[in-house]
Amino acid sequence: MRGIQEQFPEFQARGVRPVAISVDPPEVSANLRRKAGLTFTFLSDPSLDVIRRYGLLHAAGGPDGHDISRPAEFLVDRSGTVRWENFTEDIRVRPRAQEMLAAAREIQ
Amino acid sequence: MADTPISSASHRRTNSALWYGLLIMLAGIATQFLYFLRLPPPIPHVLPWINLLLPAIAMIYVVTGLARAFNQSAVYVGKIWGSILTVIALLVVAGNVFLFRQTRAVPNSAGAPQVGQHLPEFTLLDSSGNQTSLSHLFAVSANGSPPKAVLLIFYRGYW
Repeated sequence: MRGIQEQFPEFQARGVRPVAISVDPPEVSANLRRKAGLTFTFLSDPSLDVIRRYGLLHAAGGPDGHDISRPAEFLVDRSGTVRWENFTEDIRVRPRAQEMLAAAREIQ
Repeated sequence: MADTPISSASHRRTNSALWYGLLIMLAGIATQFLYFLRLPPPIPHVLPWINLLLPAIAMIYVVTGLARAFNQSAVYVGKIWGSILTVIALLVVAGNVFLFRQTRAVPNSAGAPQVGQHLPEFTLLDSSGNQTSLSHLFAVSANGSPPKAVLLIFYRGYW
């Protein structure tokens, strides 16, 4: 998330809007944004409705066996079409902002 | 070696295998922190394997050193610190195997939308409690002009 924030001006310049989604409720995300100084949009899916529909459910993957989302990134164009995506095989391994910016360059 | 009588510990040789084992183990622990450097691909994808491999190699050196200390105690030092190091190395290897299994226990994404497919519409609350849909994300933007793309970053949460 800090990586995204660091590259946020670059994302904006390229017309890409980063949006973070997790099971955390709005007040938790609001707290995280404030503490970490994150200015991009955070969405909450506590009922895992979207996470389930997108096939991203990680059952009992969170603390105390809570259901969470697996890490995943989708770059979507204005028509709603997925143009680039990433599903890591290891939660320590995340895509770099540069990779996502490069994928965004393909979109007119 | 054979013609020199060994009478005291001061004449015994440094158990270099133990030292190499210690160094490699420390290097293995250090590689756990390389994720923070956000190195270019494919390095991050190889890192978990390096995290496993280095402590395993360290273990081989440490066990070799310990065996020398006990089997050739007249030649090599390191019975005590070799034993301690072996226990630590075992813990490090076990910890790394556990971490490796934990961080890779990610379900597959077979059901997820693929590149070229249409992403189903959604409506979720943002951190201020406002209803926000995918199409809404394209309509509004922080700097005035509508974005040409939205980057959805699903993360594990519980921060």
